Amino acid sequence: MRTPLLIVVVLALLTGVPPFLGLGLQNTFINVLIACLFALAFNLLVGQAGLLSFGHAAYYGVGAFTTLHLMQAVEHGFAFPTPLLPLAGAAAGLVVGVVAGFFATIRSGVYFALVTLAIAELLHSLAPHWQGVFGGEAGLSSMRMPWAGFTFGSTLQVYYLTLTWVALSIWVLWAYTRTPFGRLTLALRDNEQRVRFLGYDAHATKVIVFAISATFSGIAGALQAIANETANYSLFSAHVSAQVVLQTFVGGSTVFFGPALGAAVFTVFADQISDLTRSWQLYQGEIFVLVVLFAPTGIGGIVEHHLRHWRQLDWSRLAAPYALGGFGGALVAAAAVFLTETLSVLFGEPYALMRKKAGDGYPSFDLFGIHWAPTNPVTWSVPLVLFLAGVVLLLRARREIAALWDAIRSAPASQTADDEVDASLQSTQHSPV
Amino acid sequence: MEFAIVSALNGVIYGLLLFMVSAGLTLIFGMMGVLNFAHASFYMLGAYAAYAVSSRVNFWVGLLIAPLVVGVVGMLVERFLLRRVHAFGHAHQLLLTFGLALIFEELIKLFFGDFPVNYRMPENLRFAAFTVFGTDYPFYRMFIGAVAVIMFIALYVLLARTRIGIVVRAAERLPNMAEALGHDVPLVFTSVFGAGAALAGLAGAVAGAFFPTNPNMALDMAIIVFVVVVVGGLGSLKGSLVASVMIGLFSSFAVGIDWSLATLCDLVGLGAWARSVGGLLTMTISSISGTIPFLLMLIVLLVRPAGLMGERN
Amino acid sequence: MRSLALFALLASGTVLAVPVQAEPLKIGIIESLSGSQTSTGRLFAAAVDYGVSLINAEGGFNGAPVQVIKYDNAGGTTEAADKFKQAVADGVNIIVQGASSAIAGQITEDVRKYNLRNPGKEVMYINVGAEAMELTGDKCHFYQFRYTTTAPMRVNALVKAMKAAGDLGTKVYSINQNYSWGTDMQAAIEAAAPIGGYEVVEKVLHDVNKIQDFAPYVAKIKAANPDTAITGNWSNDVLLLMKAAHDAGLKVRFATAFLDQPGNIANAGEIALGDYLANSYVNGAGDPTFAEKYKAAVGHYPVFVEPQTVFAIGALQLALAKLDFHGGPINVTDIAKALENVTYMSPVGPISVRKEDHQTIRPVVVSKVVKNPKYPADGTDLGFQAVSTVAGPDAIYPVQASCQMKRPT
Repeated sequence: MRTPLLIVVVLALLTGVPPFLGLGLQNTFINVLIACLFALAFNLLVGQAGLLSFGHAAYYGVGAFTTLHLMQAVEHGFAFPTPLLPLAGAAAGLVVGVVAGFFATIRSGVYFALVTLAIAELLHSLAPHWQGVFGGEAGLSSMRMPWAGFTFGSTLQVYYLTLTWVALSIWVLWAYTRTPFGRLTLALRDNEQRVRFLGYDAHATKVIVFAISATFSGIAGALQAIANETANYSLFSAHVSAQVVLQTFVGGSTVFFGPALGAAVFTVFADQISDLTRSWQLYQGEIFVLVVLFAPTGIGGIVEHHLRHWRQLDWSRLAAPYALGGFGGALVAAAAVFLTETLSVLFGEPYALMRKKAGDGYPSFDLFGIHWAPTNPVTWSVPLVLFLAGVVLLLRARREIAALWDAIRSAPASQTADDEVDASLQSTQHSPV
Repeated sequence: MEFAIVSALNGVIYGLLLFMVSAGLTLIFGMMGVLNFAHASFYMLGAYAAYAVSSRVNFWVGLLIAPLVVGVVGMLVERFLLRRVHAFGHAHQLLLTFGLALIFEELIKLFFGDFPVNYRMPENLRFAAFTVFGTDYPFYRMFIGAVAVIMFIALYVLLARTRIGIVVRAAERLPNMAEALGHDVPLVFTSVFGAGAALAGLAGAVAGAFFPTNPNMALDMAIIVFVVVVVGGLGSLKGSLVASVMIGLFSSFAVGIDWSLATLCDLVGLGAWARSVGGLLTMTISSISGTIPFLLMLIVLLVRPAGLMGERN
Repeated sequence: MRSLALFALLASGTVLAVPVQAEPLKIGIIESLSGSQTSTGRLFAAAVDYGVSLINAEGGFNGAPVQVIKYDNAGGTTEAADKFKQAVADGVNIIVQGASSAIAGQITEDVRKYNLRNPGKEVMYINVGAEAMELTGDKCHFYQFRYTTTAPMRVNALVKAMKAAGDLGTKVYSINQNYSWGTDMQAAIEAAAPIGGYEVVEKVLHDVNKIQDFAPYVAKIKAANPDTAITGNWSNDVLLLMKAAHDAGLKVRFATAFLDQPGNIANAGEIALGDYLANSYVNGAGDPTFAEKYKAAVGHYPVFVEPQTVFAIGALQLALAKLDFHGGPINVTDIAKALENVTYMSPVGPISVRKEDHQTIRPVVVSKVVKNPKYPADGTDLGFQAVSTVAGPDAIYPVQASCQMKRPT
């Protein structure tokens, strides 16, 4: 009941706001949408079918390259509507997905992950040498051609194209989870043996799921190719595969929209923070590890958990410990950032130069607009105090929150309203992978 | 001839180096079922730790301390991080080690910078061991090989002939039974993890002085090491050794092999056609020498995932 | 009533007394500021900062100091594309980049397409380090300028200088990286064989920055028995190649393009003695004023890619001095036209722009690694000493047929 309204609101915002934003933000939105689609396609395999793939960049990249070849053909006269270009990516993703999936799904568990990794690395190391198909190290480049009055020259037009495709694809992916085959996918993850006993061909099912996941990954890659008008072999790199894994699990692989949330957060994070500090990838890794350790269902899982028990949540009692916990978390994060940035300055080259000028001493440096002296204990006590204070608050908050949730969970069964919320959100709900 | 001898020597030694790193990985997998993505990061940590110590004290002290430091780090990781996610399943453990690999790489970049550091072997080790057809063979390579061989022997003796080894092997086979018999199995797991990390750290300390020491060395090594453990058989030390040497030899020799599929087509008279098609058919083995290990890994995974010497699982 | 009139008078006075507009010129550096090529990327950025500080010391341009905005492309072309869009959104007029031919290819294409789609709001691209031939070949366009050398320029200079010094020999081995730059080098080495009077005994292309162990390649070089090995390798690829050659006791002279990358000499040590280098500038090759001023401002003598970047910004400064936009909007086409006609006097000779493809015609300095030079490298007792300087017109390569530059009307 709340969910469709929320979706309408989000769509309205996504459609109405961007014309008023600058080019930079519009571009960020495009990247966020593409990352969301990629993560959701990935989660089809990981969260719903339970097959952890570490090489999904392969299908993303294949989609991008195929689309770019089609773009080059269009540029040289082949008549094909520009808005339908992602179909090329979808087709490529499908074909490669069927082939790769057929072989990969012969194995399961860690071996499956290794096969997918090997396939991606194979493409990654082969691509720079295969000039004809992948354009060597520089890659391929093309230009969007106009169609039906649209030039597709402005970022805004590309944004709307991306939005249309992503919205449609997400709708299809969501509809998939409502079909019997979607349920079968969940069953595969939960108990493959039973699926076989029920008469289904588990291998064929897995191949189909893999292919669908690869198809939508291909569409995401195609959209990337259209937005950037280039593709090169780095699209196959372990980094791209790693990013989608990070985003999916931080967002939460157990909830349908979880990966989209993680993708949005991480993409914006990378975009905004990468120009502020050199250590942004460290922060990303730390957030990921913290989520894996303390919140295995991810942000999406936590949100879903709250929504499920919405009626039973007494905010007047929960607000205080949550605020306390949030504040404590912020203090710990501040301590970590302070420490990291200080170390980054102290171990960096400009500081080494300053030290040489100061005759090998330890001169003061500027950080966050304040002057710090490395030999002064105050400089080091700041992160320490922040950290300790944050931990104390967090522990205190955790105790109270745990007590409150225990009370909620042992309360009598939920009313009908909750059941509706339950049903609409339970498309992918389950215990952690 | 000279090329063959030198390449064979280089291949074997590079293979032994790969073995030093993959031994720990395969042991840990065999014991705990965890494929440690951060294992190559231990290799990198070892190299940097050795660099940090050797630039202040002494190369040999660095060589001694680096594995200890990395071993301790490994034990801490297992005790406080891996154990926590154990309850969530293998996939979460994989993900955790994956995140740790990222963090280690970034931490190294934070402290040591984004570029290679000047970790060099001491001058007194920089001489030629012998001369082969006019080409000198550096002593340090033999040193790397020697360290690897000594390590393998020590590991084998430890596992097969000592009491500790028996406990470790029992804990790997039947952890519940071993625990029932009164052994502290979690401690065994932690120690094995730490030992595996220490081995990788030693490999890094030794190799880092010869090969470049930079933040990318973990990722480069990780991928090859995965190929090695898969081909050798996850959990099998002997398989690891055989696979490492195989891949080392291949990498060494591939550089000189300028054959391609087109050369094969020459045998049936289709050479000219193949060359006109270009693309995949004219790629020489030397230019795609980096790709072939993955092909091998794929074939092994699909045909016989137990690898050369692993157990059928 | 009177107060109202007074108010109206004051208001109109305020409106009329509008302060002089000053639209600043914005230079965007889209560089590898993180990732494996960070050290090089940061050198480019530092040099641009220095060059711009010289412009601002003379009062800036268009009534305001020139602004420099840094964007990190993390060494990847996709990130570079994103940062380009961000730069354009931030109002950047001139993009400067140098640390990768692949990224340069991405940026130059982005600039070209953007200018096509947004006439009147063009941006310019000054390439201070990417040397792939295609950038002034099929990817050339009016709004890009290459302020660095290319493979044929470096190779021809090396061959001429080494031959004159008697260090070339008759058998040359070509070993390069397997991508646009490496294949350009290989082609240049083969093309220069008649000039140098040598035979290319073997040519090898290997993976870029992936090879840890060059021993097999050294074994191949040994088998071919050349006098000189010419290589365009950079970073680890040149360092490890030389280390492996030394370990094997291979007595071959290396002629390189990037041996002066910081860290190479420190890591290589004495094995680099006698090896050659060809680039845009080496300390000691000309008037030392430039080097001393740079050191006073930045803290170290200009090294590696810094000099060529400073020269590029210096040329831009000369171009800007010819223009006056009266504080109003900046017309990048005019800047480009002015830059085309600028000749910058570097310490080793004049640098001018060739109108057909916007490649700079510039002198190439050939130097050798010696012990106890005037300007030691990397804090060791080794360094580069200039052997000879090939003048611009002698070093330049012919315009490529693939460049079909369309000039703005």
